[in-house]
Amino acid sequence: MKRSVPLLIVFVIGTFLLASYFFNFTLPGTNITLKQGASTINNWGVIVTAFAVGLASINLLRIHGAKIINQRSGWVNSAILILTMFTFIIVGIYSRSNPDNESAAKLFSNLFNYAYSPFSATMYSMIAFYVASASYRAFRMRSLEATLLLSAAVLVMLGNAPIAEQVWAQFPVIGKWLLTVINTTGQRGIAIGVAIGGFATSLRILLGFDRGHLGQGD
Amino acid sequence: MWFERLQNIDRRVIYTILLIVLITPMIKPIGIPLSVNSTTRQVYNLIENLDPEKDIVMMGMDYSVAGQADVHPQAVAVAKHLANRNIRNIMVSFVADGPMLAEKIIGILGDRVTYGQNIVNVGYLAGGESAIKKFIEAPGTTFINDHRGKPLANMPVMAGIKDINDITLILDFQTGSPGYQDFLRQLPAGGPLYAAGIVTVSVPNVMPYLNSGQLAGLLQGLRGGAEYEVLIEEPGEGAARMDAQSLGHVVIVAFIIVGNLAYFGSKRKGKTHGGGDKV
Repeated sequence: MKRSVPLLIVFVIGTFLLASYFFNFTLPGTNITLKQGASTINNWGVIVTAFAVGLASINLLRIHGAKIINQRSGWVNSAILILTMFTFIIVGIYSRSNPDNESAAKLFSNLFNYAYSPFSATMYSMIAFYVASASYRAFRMRSLEATLLLSAAVLVMLGNAPIAEQVWAQFPVIGKWLLTVINTTGQRGIAIGVAIGGFATSLRILLGFDRGHLGQGD
Repeated sequence: MWFERLQNIDRRVIYTILLIVLITPMIKPIGIPLSVNSTTRQVYNLIENLDPEKDIVMMGMDYSVAGQADVHPQAVAVAKHLANRNIRNIMVSFVADGPMLAEKIIGILGDRVTYGQNIVNVGYLAGGESAIKKFIEAPGTTFINDHRGKPLANMPVMAGIKDINDITLILDFQTGSPGYQDFLRQLPAGGPLYAAGIVTVSVPNVMPYLNSGQLAGLLQGLRGGAEYEVLIEEPGEGAARMDAQSLGHVVIVAFIIVGNLAYFGSKRKGKTHGGGDKV
């Protein structure tokens, strides 16, 4: 029962939504068409996702709260995270509830632009240094395949760098050819493969053979 | 031994070299000439061919702050172009960071736009592809209030939008999910044109969709933003950062070459000393 009911819901809703792409008739006993019904179900999905965002916040609070209470290693970081989260939540909710309050909107905007934005961009930008280190230490031409891969990467990078174009005008031409001909061929094959795999997986989930989304257990 | 030392150089040396190479052109710009890609020109021409009297553009603000260094200059340049041509611009977000980035752009546009008249930030809709599907089915009524809490019903910018075919062009700026695949799956055949501004690392994945014509144009990373600034003759953040990116690419290529030279050098030395055949 605990697993049968969710599986049944997945099958019914999934089949309904799938059918709405191929048929459009009025549901018996109602004046609602299949497409209208599918649209309503889609709206439920949007609402559920919005609640999932709130659920994620509660989960964060639970995990990091336990860390703070038990004073486990790194609890200070958890305290900063919880404090930051509540600051944004309180300021954001107050700002949205009082749209005429310009100070609240300005405060939220400043928190976003001068705290969250630079920190987030900095974390992402550190990848450049790891790539530089990897390019020096790990990108080795140990085999023919590695040599081809590395050569293509270097040519595409030089094709994208304006300074390389000043050295030799053909770098962008070669880079573009690699992207639009060689790369596109491979990407098309991968995209078709992923689509077929996705269809097969979706069918398995619809029919109840794949139960990973139900959590641990049988 | 020299080759081994070169191979095992302290990574802090590598980080320092990269830091110096990236910072120097930001302090003292070089002004490396920049040619314009055909895919960038396609997006420019799409907007140049719009009719300010009847065409409406939807700007998808679907990039996160983490990726804004790559995508934000594109979005700013395109928004400036739309504002200069007085094209109605509806900014929608399907990622949480989007509305605030949209507000940032509206602030940059300043007096070029009149909020509610020719531009609006309708806010964020959670749900990924489900949210995109919902918006496409009812673009005029999905949002009741805009991001600032003001009712949309009375805004001239939203006037006359009954379904997705009333929108002429969708320009989506993205760093991941939801992205171009979600839009392309949900957009009806014969519906609005779709163009995208993406991060550089996603360019190879997008190529099949560009070649097939599903994407009407593509802005490729920071370079795409810089190229667009050149086209609208308003150099900004994109152009300013291109010198640094250009030199950064060259330095990484140099690292690859030097690293491999050191590798082959030490390999050859190892064969010479260990083999005994060659001295």
